[in-house]
Amino acid sequence: MLHIHDLTKKYGRKQVLDGLTLSVGPGVTGLLGPNGAGKTTLLRCLATTLSYDGGRVDAFGLDPAHAAQRTALRRRLGYLPQDPGHYPHFTAFDLVDYVAILKELTDRKHRHSEVRRVLAEVDLTDQARTKVRKLSGGMRQRLALAQALLGEPELLILDEPTVGLDPEQRMLFRALVSRLGESRTVLLSTHQTEDVAALCERVVTMVRGRVVFDGTPGGLAATAAGQVWLSDQAPAESRLFWRTANGRYRTLGDRPPGAEPAEPGVEDGYLLLVGEAA
Amino acid sequence: MSWHITADLMDAYLSGGLDPARAMSVDAHLGGCPDCRAAVPYEEDRLRDSWQRLEAEVLSPRPSPVERLLRSGGVHEHVARLLTATPTMSGAWVAAVVAALAFAVLAARESAAYLPVFLAVAPILPLAGIALAYGPRVDPVHELLASTPLSGARLLLVRAAGTLAVAVVLAAGASPLLPAPAWLSAAWLLPSLATTSCCLLLSSRLPVPVSALATGGLWLLGVAAAGGATGDLLAAFGLAAQIGYGCAALLISLRLYSKVNA
Repeated sequence: MLHIHDLTKKYGRKQVLDGLTLSVGPGVTGLLGPNGAGKTTLLRCLATTLSYDGGRVDAFGLDPAHAAQRTALRRRLGYLPQDPGHYPHFTAFDLVDYVAILKELTDRKHRHSEVRRVLAEVDLTDQARTKVRKLSGGMRQRLALAQALLGEPELLILDEPTVGLDPEQRMLFRALVSRLGESRTVLLSTHQTEDVAALCERVVTMVRGRVVFDGTPGGLAATAAGQVWLSDQAPAESRLFWRTANGRYRTLGDRPPGAEPAEPGVEDGYLLLVGEAA
Repeated sequence: MSWHITADLMDAYLSGGLDPARAMSVDAHLGGCPDCRAAVPYEEDRLRDSWQRLEAEVLSPRPSPVERLLRSGGVHEHVARLLTATPTMSGAWVAAVVAALAFAVLAARESAAYLPVFLAVAPILPLAGIALAYGPRVDPVHELLASTPLSGARLLLVRAAGTLAVAVVLAAGASPLLPAPAWLSAAWLLPSLATTSCCLLLSSRLPVPVSALATGGLWLLGVAAAGGATGDLLAAFGLAAQIGYGCAALLISLRLYSKVNA
């Protein structure tokens, strides 16, 4: 269980986390928010790669602000950063093996078996001996996910994990994360509301370093009830509308003349929430 | 297939009783005949173990020559992997160290008055390596590694040890070329240990490149100040100073050890 209480973080004068309070339990929790909302900063604080200015984090009873407890927490978490980077001269196996050593898997036989397991999990067994620089963007993303799975961590922190994945890979990713979420705590940030709708039991929306919504994807969609409209003509006044594939206009907010109500989705709720909070 | 393996032949094959030519003939037949292949008994566990062994053999990384050398010298396999992956351990850094040492040696051979240059430069080289060994600006995978239990001081120490070892070996290789007695040619060693340990201690409070820059700057200032005060540029390398460097290196290393294991 992860408890975050009144967390604050500033970059210079900019307040990035502004007294954020949140509790996250087992299952998959999605973190939504516009650029600059503080999602990555929050995840970096939880992944112990960034210190926070104020507030408290309690992860499985461990406080990452204390050095010894921070190391203990690192033994229990897997982290996929937004920009994981790579050593171009390493093979896929080398890179995951290297991280496995840093995760204190020192026995060679056991470590290599674990590396093979996580590479198979992300469907990269055939690329194990390929240099990382020769892998596609999607493959590199899966490779970065593989290292996060080493040692079957209880807490998985995934920052924009579906970036660069094609639709088929995204489906495989969703299946993998759903399965992982059955037995551990998964916290992922994304811009993809479809991912949230498809695999998160819970969604937290952040704006300007604060939580503005915390509930189920269905609950987020429901916040847009009565505010989603379909019309044949582009609305004259609304700024939240777009032309859909069938040529009709989907408008969020007040009812445009001649429009009919539409079923709200997660994206509708999110856009209205972010629009109101901005 | 016009023929199939008889029961007697299969028994002999499975018991390993066939001569190599006949065994190869049976192997070739099994490769092309699904019926005979299906008749070969197998245990599922044994097959899975064999497959895992094969997979391990094919997928496991081949250690680099440097890694093999370290392992033959008694370094643990996982430590050897960590050391060889240090960002500093690139051809560019090693080439820069060799060039700096070569320049200092040539200058000293040209005129003994330049000997202090070598002695002052040698302790700076590991600092430059350490500055490039750890941190978000020099390590492309830093953010990912920073969330692992071995990151921070422990990983920095491993990488710094590797960097120091390479710099010391190269400087030791260059020392006999100096036009000076053996003890004076090696007078850079204890200062190197002292500056390196000092840099590592500072890095618990400051970014690694800043620590390296500060330590290197202080060292050069100290050498220049000692030379200026006594009129002898080798003043910073005398016996009393060497004892001081040795004590400083030892005490700071003990402090580092206690910090890492706290």
